[in-house]
Amino acid sequence: MFPLRRFRIEDDSMRPVLEPGDYVLVNRWAYKFRPPVKGDLVVVRDPETPERFLVKRVSDLPDATQIRVAGDNADRSRDSRSFGPIPLREIVGKVWIRLR
Amino acid sequence: MSLLYLLARWLDRISPAPIAYAHCDIPCGIYDPHHAQLAAHTVVRMVDLINQLEKPGASSTPEQRQEYTNKLTRYIATKEQHSEIAKNEVRILWGDYFKPEHVKTFPELHELVWKALKSGSKARQEISLQAAEDLLKATNDIASIFWKTKGFETITAKAPYPTERLTVYPKFK
Repeated sequence: MFPLRRFRIEDDSMRPVLEPGDYVLVNRWAYKFRPPVKGDLVVVRDPETPERFLVKRVSDLPDATQIRVAGDNADRSRDSRSFGPIPLREIVGKVWIRLR
Repeated sequence: MSLLYLLARWLDRISPAPIAYAHCDIPCGIYDPHHAQLAAHTVVRMVDLINQLEKPGASSTPEQRQEYTNKLTRYIATKEQHSEIAKNEVRILWGDYFKPEHVKTFPELHELVWKALKSGSKARQEISLQAAEDLLKATNDIASIFWKTKGFETITAKAPYPTERLTVYPKFK
């Protein structure tokens, strides 16, 4: 599995870090040997629509198998406040660089 | 615009990058259980009006029967419509406002939403004062939880409408 995958950003819950139209390169191996930490930018599968991807920030680690995510703009974000924690296996990877 | 960005954009022509959504669905954050309570009041009122409506006797004139049918039809149509409005408003609160955390604190929410939807359907199908009252009670109970999640206490008072049923209102500071 090639470690990098690119995504195009849509919507603005992560402004100003990520703007709609930006690309991100995601490291799919980032959590192979160490767990996510609070503050990491991650791409995850949308728990409510599995064929979609969401880009969010890790806001909490309730246990070793799950993370909670949040958008940087809380009032414009659908995140763990509505869909709860996300299992680690639903993480695609950690955002490595942003291309703008 | 960086060179890598141009490269990524160029790659899109060969194989488009999947989209990572920063959010979806506009979380407008504007919710209020009052719509559901109001619609439930209307349903109660319509059942009351239907029950108060004098049925045309054997000696009634065609005009009296027409008048009766007209009124009854209008009450039923309004009852249908507002039962559905109440149900829809409860669905919006349930689907869009209430979060798993709320259900943890108020585990009775499941049952209340279910009761509201079921009694809403029954109030729509039948001329049943009991179903209408059940619908109103369920919307009141949901409103009471809603305002608690917002940090407001509630008062229960007689509504200032012809139904005069007890209704839950927030106590805004």
